[in-house]
Formats: sequence, C-alpha cells, structure tokens
Amino acid sequence: MGAAGTGAAWALTGSSAAAPDPESPESPPAPSAVVPPDDDLMREHGVLKRVLLCYREMTSQVQAGGSLNAQHLHDAALVIHDFIEGFHEGLEEGFVFPRLRQAGRVTGTVSTLLLQHARGRVLTQFILAHATTSEVASAGPRGELAAAMQAFVRMYEPHEAREDTVVFPAFRQLLSPQEVADLGQHFADLEHQQFGQDEFTAMVGRVAAIEQALGIYDLTQFTPDVTAYEPPH
Amino acid sequence: MRRARRLRAAAVPCPVRAACGAVAGTCAAVLLLAACGTSAAAGAQAAGKPSGHGPTVKIMARSLPAVGTVLVTGNGYALYMFGPDNHRSVTCTGVCAGTWPPVKLPVGGSLAAGPGVSVSLLGSDPDPDGGRVVTYDGWPLYTYTGDIDSGQATGQDIDLNGGDWYVLRPSGQPLIPSPAPPGRPDRRRPARRGPAAGPCCWPGAAWPWARPGPVPPGR
Repeated sequence: MGAAGTGAAWALTGSSAAAPDPESPESPPAPSAVVPPDDDLMREHGVLKRVLLCYREMTSQVQAGGSLNAQHLHDAALVIHDFIEGFHEGLEEGFVFPRLRQAGRVTGTVSTLLLQHARGRVLTQFILAHATTSEVASAGPRGELAAAMQAFVRMYEPHEAREDTVVFPAFRQLLSPQEVADLGQHFADLEHQQFGQDEFTAMVGRVAAIEQALGIYDLTQFTPDVTAYEPPH
Repeated sequence: MRRARRLRAAAVPCPVRAACGAVAGTCAAVLLLAACGTSAAAGAQAAGKPSGHGPTVKIMARSLPAVGTVLVTGNGYALYMFGPDNHRSVTCTGVCAGTWPPVKLPVGGSLAAGPGVSVSLLGSDPDPDGGRVVTYDGWPLYTYTGDIDSGQATGQDIDLNGGDWYVLRPSGQPLIPSPAPPGRPDRRRPARRGPAAGPCCWPGAAWPWARPGPVPPGR
C-alpha cells in the first residue's frame, strides 16, 4: 500500500483546521456488509459533493475579494486527485462504463462522462500545481484558481447527478444478483488494497477537516429562517 | 535491467477486428483488440515469427497534435508509458488499469510494427492481472480512457494513479517535458501521489475476479 493509505497522510496539514470529533455522527461506521457496487459509487459521490462545496466556498471568498488559503485548496484538490480521480473514476472506467457500452446502453452519455473525467484531471493538475502560498498571494493566479474550481464544480455537479440517476441504475439493471454481490465485494477489496481498512471513514474525516477550516462544517448554519414564509396564524 | 521478452511474430489479420471499434478506449481486455491491425497491413514490418492462429497486435507511429510523432495502436489511439513501471514490469493494475487499459497480447497472438516502429523494441511482459502486456523498449504500453477519439493524447504528462504518464517516441524515449525553471513552481506536478493497486477490470464477457491469477502482494 502506498503512503496515501496511512492515517497521517489523510490529516489536514493546515494549522487552522481542527480534527473532526471522532465520536461525532460525522464519523460513519465501517460497513459490515458488502455494499452493492452502485451504492458504493454513490457513497463516494458524497465525498466528491463535499469537496465541491469546499471549492464553491473558496471560489466565493475569492470572488468577494477575500483571500485564498493555499493549504486548504491543496488538501481539497488532493482528495479529488487521490480518491476521486485515482480510485472512484477508475472503478467507473474499468467496470461500469465498459459494461454499459457492451450492452449498448447510454453510450453517448458514457463518452461525455469519460471526456469530463479527463478534463477534470487537467483542472486538478492545474490546481495542485498552483496551490502555493506565493501564487495565491497574487490576484491573477488567485483568480485563475477560482476559475478552475468554478469550472470543476460546474462540470461535476451535473456529472455526478447524471451518474446517480441514469448511469448507475442502467448499470445495475445489467447485473444479476450474484454479480451485484461479487462486484460489491470486489470493489471493497480494491478499496482496501489501495487505501487500507476504514479508508472511507478516513476520507470523510479528511474532507470534514477542510470544511471546518473553511467554516462550513456546522450543518446548522445552513438551516434557513422560514418565519417570513410561514402561513399567518 | 531486465528486458521484455522479445516476441517474434508475423503480421496476420486480426480475427476479432469487428470488436475493435465497439468499446475501444474503455477496457483493458478490449483494448487489446483496439490495438489489432486492421489487416496484415501492407508495408507493415513483421515482428518475428508467426504464432499460428492468434490475432496480431500492431503498434504504429503517428503524428498527433501538440506531441508530434508518437506510438499509437493500430486504431490510432495514443500509447503511454507509466513511470513506476521503471522500464521493465507492469505495475498499473486493478483500478489503475481501469483508467489506463494496457495493450494486451492475446494468447497465441503476435506483434507487428508499423512504418517507423522498431520491431526489435517490441516485446511483452506478464500482467499481474493476467495475460501479457505489449512492451516497447521495455515499457509496458497503455491507452487512456480520456482519449475519446483516436489521434488524441490527453493523458500526456498527467500524474495519476501513483505516477507520471507520457507518450513514447518511436525511438522508445518518453516525451518528458522540461522541468520548470528554478524559482518557479512546476506546473505539471501535483505534490503527492496516490498508489496504484488491485486486480482489474471489466474483461468483456467474464468477470475478472473469477479469473485465476496472482494478485501482487501489498498492492
């Protein structure tokens, strides 16, 4: 297993981020049963979605004339690089998309998704290469990074939504119950081989630490006041 | 340095040509078909002695935008080398091979070199996921799922799945860009890399994990 599988490697390296409370409900329990492959992929999409929220927050801060923390950006992009592009998308490209193409299902969508994977990797390489203290200090590079994050978010929100609602269900329809069980186990084995045990929990903790550093971890802050919308008594 | 076993074969028609275009660019087990020449290829250089009945995997050279003349499959898809392979063995397996399908040499298959490609540099290495992977000057060859159409090289100079990916010149030399000047950040390099691992991938008709074969330890 590579160094990326160590717990220390997952820790947010920025000084302003506090580690998430391991006792909090935020830390999901390790699954005891085999997760069906499409469910597993959608669960991984949850990690992607949370990084997209981090990207959105950092983009908003830059566009509002604020600063950009290079460490937070780098940590977020590394989650994308290591987990989404280096693992999750490999499962899709190795197992899901070929089967769909073989069956002649959603082939046009699959081609678009493959292209978007490639474009996303280009954006991530750019972000990782430029997420340095010296570059984010300048307005020009900071604006370029914000634009790259914005493009990434704009692409991946509909990308993952289409996969969850169209592509994965189509894939599931092609599998027998035995294949669902076998492939789910194989996905779990691949995850353990690449990252070690409890990798998903560690990944969620890693993203939560970035959210805390950005001030978007506390879910209650997003609950709206609906007083103005309540019916008159 | 261990060199890839040299295969000697003659150019023979690819018996599975019809399958080549169906899913090219998506799966390791199928990409070997995409590498098949569409014919015995007039003008192609034969790469050794015939194996008898298997398909021919043909490696070509073609000029592509932005990268110049590089190795491609018989269908024109760019071929890449993976840094951690270290010029001698297949290390992109499992999930990695989902994104970077290796060019497989079918059992009983043969190799052929197109114009400008050196027969003497063609060979094959065992794939830990099963079968053999075509090599060039010792480098195992891979395609990239991000190359949606032939003639693209969108995987050039990408750091992914635990290492760097480059196209190859017909000389066998990887196309590695010059490093950034001192004092400037290297725009090409993420700061840390994830590992590559595990057995892979959708093989067409059969499930890969049902296939007997060694899984490399600790990967």
